[in-house]
Amino acid sequence: MSKIKKNDKEYKSLDKDLLKRLLVYSKPYALIIFSSLILLIIGVILELYQPVILGKAIDEYIDNYSTIYKLSIDSERDGFQYQDNYFVEASGDTSSSPIFAIIVKKEDQYYFLDNLLYSQAEEIVKKENTTSYLNNLSSPLTSDELKVMRKSSIDGIIRVAIKYLLITLLIFLINYGQAILLQYSGQKIIFNIRNEVFSHFMTLSIDYFNKNPIGKIVTRVTNDTENLSEMYTSVIINTLKSFFILAGVMISMLIFNIRLSLITFSILPFIVFFTMIFRHYSRIINRDIRKRLAGLNSFISETISGMKIVQIFAVEDEVYSEFKSENNKLKKSYLDNLKAFATYRPSIYLLNVVALALLISFGGKMAIQGSISIGTLIIFQRYIGKLFEPINQLSEQFNILQSAMASSERIFEVMDTQSDIKDDEDAIELENVHGSIEFKNVCFAYNENEWILKNVSFTVSPGQTVAFVGSTGAGKTTIQNLITRYYDIQKGEILLDGINIKNIKVKSLRSNIGQMLQDVFLFTGDIKSNIRLRDENISMDKIYESSKYVNADKFICKLPDKYSEKVFERGATFSTGQRQLISFARTLAYNPSILILDEATANIDTETESLIQDAMGKIMKDRTTLVVAHRLSTIQNADKIIVLHKGQVVENGTHQELLVQKGMYYDLYKLQYDDNNTKPHS
Amino acid sequence: MYANKDGIFKIVNSKYMRAYFNKYKWNYFFGLAIIGIIDVLQLRIPLLIGKVIDNIGESNLVESDLSEYVKQVLFLGLIIVVGRFGWRMFIFRSSRSIEYDVRNDLFKHLEFLSQRYYNQNKTGDIMAHLTNDLDALRMAVGPGVLMTFDAAVLGFLTIYNMSTQINPRLTFFAVLPLSLIIIVTAILAKIMFRRYKTKQEAFAGLSDFTQENFSGINVIKAFVQESKEIKAFKNVNYNAFNKNMKMLIINSLLHPIMALITGLSLTVVLGYGGYLAVINIITIGQLSAFVQFIVMLIWPMIAIGYTINLFSMGAASLTRIEEILNEDIDIKDSESVKDIKKTGGSIEIKNLHFTYPQSGSPDLNDINLSIVDGKTLGILGRTGSGKSTLVNLLLRLYDPPGNSIFIDGTDILDIPLHTLRKSIGYVPQDSFLFSTTISKNIDFGLRNSSKKDIVNSAKYACVHDNIMGFSQQYDTVIGERGVSLSGGQKQRISIARGLIKDPPILILDDSLSAVDTETENKILSHLNIIRKNKTNILISHRISTLQNSDQIIVLDKGSIVEKGSHEELILMDGLYNHIYKKQLLEKAIDDTEVSEVEL
Repeated sequence: MSKIKKNDKEYKSLDKDLLKRLLVYSKPYALIIFSSLILLIIGVILELYQPVILGKAIDEYIDNYSTIYKLSIDSERDGFQYQDNYFVEASGDTSSSPIFAIIVKKEDQYYFLDNLLYSQAEEIVKKENTTSYLNNLSSPLTSDELKVMRKSSIDGIIRVAIKYLLITLLIFLINYGQAILLQYSGQKIIFNIRNEVFSHFMTLSIDYFNKNPIGKIVTRVTNDTENLSEMYTSVIINTLKSFFILAGVMISMLIFNIRLSLITFSILPFIVFFTMIFRHYSRIINRDIRKRLAGLNSFISETISGMKIVQIFAVEDEVYSEFKSENNKLKKSYLDNLKAFATYRPSIYLLNVVALALLISFGGKMAIQGSISIGTLIIFQRYIGKLFEPINQLSEQFNILQSAMASSERIFEVMDTQSDIKDDEDAIELENVHGSIEFKNVCFAYNENEWILKNVSFTVSPGQTVAFVGSTGAGKTTIQNLITRYYDIQKGEILLDGINIKNIKVKSLRSNIGQMLQDVFLFTGDIKSNIRLRDENISMDKIYESSKYVNADKFICKLPDKYSEKVFERGATFSTGQRQLISFARTLAYNPSILILDEATANIDTETESLIQDAMGKIMKDRTTLVVAHRLSTIQNADKIIVLHKGQVVENGTHQELLVQKGMYYDLYKLQYDDNNTKPHS
Repeated sequence: MYANKDGIFKIVNSKYMRAYFNKYKWNYFFGLAIIGIIDVLQLRIPLLIGKVIDNIGESNLVESDLSEYVKQVLFLGLIIVVGRFGWRMFIFRSSRSIEYDVRNDLFKHLEFLSQRYYNQNKTGDIMAHLTNDLDALRMAVGPGVLMTFDAAVLGFLTIYNMSTQINPRLTFFAVLPLSLIIIVTAILAKIMFRRYKTKQEAFAGLSDFTQENFSGINVIKAFVQESKEIKAFKNVNYNAFNKNMKMLIINSLLHPIMALITGLSLTVVLGYGGYLAVINIITIGQLSAFVQFIVMLIWPMIAIGYTINLFSMGAASLTRIEEILNEDIDIKDSESVKDIKKTGGSIEIKNLHFTYPQSGSPDLNDINLSIVDGKTLGILGRTGSGKSTLVNLLLRLYDPPGNSIFIDGTDILDIPLHTLRKSIGYVPQDSFLFSTTISKNIDFGLRNSSKKDIVNSAKYACVHDNIMGFSQQYDTVIGERGVSLSGGQKQRISIARGLIKDPPILILDDSLSAVDTETENKILSHLNIIRKNKTNILISHRISTLQNSDQIIVLDKGSIVEKGSHEELILMDGLYNHIYKKQLLEKAIDDTEVSEVEL
């Protein structure tokens, strides 16, 4: 645990390393992400081109009335009549007609000037000596007249409009395609990370699951990975986009006017400063929020699981007030976050206003003095707005990044946790297990220096049944956890068929040992899926056979859906006894060479117990069996009894031998039956 | 905004939510009022700058006038800054407060739902409502409300300017395609809503799968199922990926389609507006202003699209939240409840018949039983005989029929639930402990016991020595579900938790199963002393645990088949004697073996 905490600290200061690690996951999708990026750039360029089309349309068609017309003899195809004459566009033809005409604009009105020489018309187009003509105008043109005269402009506008429409459609396709490509790779990356995290958890030892709350572990696989998805779909591309725009705007400003740019840029350090302060507090607050939220959620989840206890003890009000105070703490953290945001965002806006004030003050002065044009002033005004957009965007991305970082920190923390139980390189696969087990001077502690087993030695021959007897905490269950290598021992050796279990592949070892655990865990699904688990090689016949063998089929067949009867969360609808029976069937279906029973019959009533004893007798015959039991009836069948006390083997022998010794076993045995002395013949 | 119909109306029309809107109405009022003012003020800053530029252009401005404009801009800016801080605080604070309130409501309601509910609903699902759904609801009542209002004000101001200052006809034709956004988003929202739901379900499935796997890790390791579980996880994960992608395909369409529609609108402005400019119905200046206005309308339109999303998700979440809140509290104080503060220990059961809601056959049949105050009842029965059912009814985890169970002569349905449960100490079969300190776990029912009382009850439950062995002793925090303790230790802490209440009635429901014989004997002898003259109910399948009880009943298939003292039951030669004989047989075998060796 201390190791993990150390790692945690390192990550805080090494965000770069985290990013690098996260980027590794995007490698398989580099091509897609790259294509998406290309599409993004094309999209941005096209989007920037859109206003250019608009501007050009205004310049070339709407504001351009400088077409020179010539007099035409009769109504030609593209011509029009003005007063008594027909006109057509001259199109540079200066010879075929002596009379030319042109449209002029004065105070938002258009007028038709005819009776011009070609050179006169050209002068007007070039805006040379126009005053003499403009002082000499007849009545302004009506809309209907303009409609006819400027037919070519109108045609042009329609063409541009169609072009605009097509580009809009193209942008739509590109942007949508880009988004889909990006989302696809983002989701695929999350899918992969999730698989990896889950797979990694599967390699971790039981010890890890015992030491960490399940709710928190589940969060690593689900929510933390979910938090990462935005980092891939939004942060990467948007950050690049924001940088493009920011750089583009700054460069353009510098090109227009260096002095005014530098004055404007003077607010940039403030933006960075404000953002850094905000970032600092936001980080602290967000950590707080996450901690409180996780705490509150595990509180809720646990209370829901233990609701029966809460209700039976009638402490609903007390638990509620406890909950409320936790909930209130969370709300306070959220409000802190809100305050930080509510201060930061407007303060950035304030800087925007300050920049505009600077522009009025300095830019205005420069414009009045004539050192910059009004156009430059207008352009700067528009650019200042554009300067803030990407910075705002970047800080938004930063928030996503921050939560993704925190999540990835936790995910990598898990990924870096290595199981203590690992296969040696030269670990072997077990074949034909005979089933002899030997403990040689085994010492073991769950926590350092708290020895649970001290120098334990014993041997079990193939096919033997050995019972472990002793009071609670004597180390019986621990011995079983060690044979299956849920934990590694500190001293001594455990041998299976003469091979040190550390040299056997863990999977091979465990699949040869059938273990019936104290707490029967049932999975959501049905009865048959709980017997065969996920091994599809276990046939229905095998399931029926095993269930009959342990006498479980009796109650199963009474269920409405029999073997397909649904099992809900943890098998809550089944009694403890029924759950035990299902777990027996499960173990038998896997046909292990060695059997480990941990007080397996403890929760079953006498009637059922005797049925199970009967079944057990049959299976034990062929298998090495290690039993932890305090029911003497189970022990009757044992070939050997090992009496444990405070982690040491104190006695060892058959039932009869041990009784003769009149040692601890004799006492244990006597104790069990002292209460029964009401019997008439004793 | 019409497209929000389903979402926003569902939320606004909800009686439950209305109470909260009412509670925070002033916050909402001030927040929205500030936004309205700020939207108007914000438009003034570009106008001010425009004025400066115009005046410079017409050369009627001198350098000294500039500072006046600077002052005005900064003044406006400051007001806007304060306003922006203000609306965030008013509106987002309300949504956080509503989230807080709803979470409290949900938790409180959950506390009163009966076991029937918890047997039918998965913890993961309930958790999803308290996390994801609550989040979605908050997004709807916070950012959703804010953006809708902001968009409405900005949109209105812009359209008003367009039609009064430029050309109503052009405004009509330009805004017409823009209004397509509303139809398109209405359709998209519907699909999104559906796909979001399936996505959430897939995510919940993923959560459940993971949760169950980690809870059952022992089984997975023992049966070497790791690689198969990973394979199964991949399927569940792929399903989540798939459902997510399906949602994203639609979600990603939203922004491009808005841009597309905006483009359509600008095409109209370009074509029709350009034509109007050519024939001199509008000026070129008006045309370029019109383009600016269309650009200004984009944000409100996108905001509407976004809020449609927020509202439809929020409405879906609200439905699920309300489902929990409307879940009937089926076990509660009856109308004829009597004012009883404490009960004694006499229990009377008369003609009790009971069938679980989903069970086909009766689970308890004609139970008649009376326990005199201060006496001990033993209950023997096989798996599924109805032992736990009887206890469930006594604790009113399920309600028995009226006039069937009486404590101190009062129908337990007329005893306040709180009093009833406070009067019964219960040690369940599975010893569920909470992730808190051992001493808090022991003192779970009382909450203010002295250290001495806690230690004493731990001693009676024979777990004191174990606790003292932990480095933090009584302050040791138990891991989730008490995983760091052995089954026996958990059981004994659970016994201590029942004993400390010193209740008039104590029930031990097969709660010595994980305890070895020696310890069991010790605990039983402690019980003999501290529970003397108090009512006890011992449930077990071991006769040694029960035989000293004043009265023993044998349950089979939901009926009492035998009743009497140990000696009487043996004479009866029924099921009890049958089981007893079996236990005797075991002993007899042992006895013979001993004598054989002794020979």
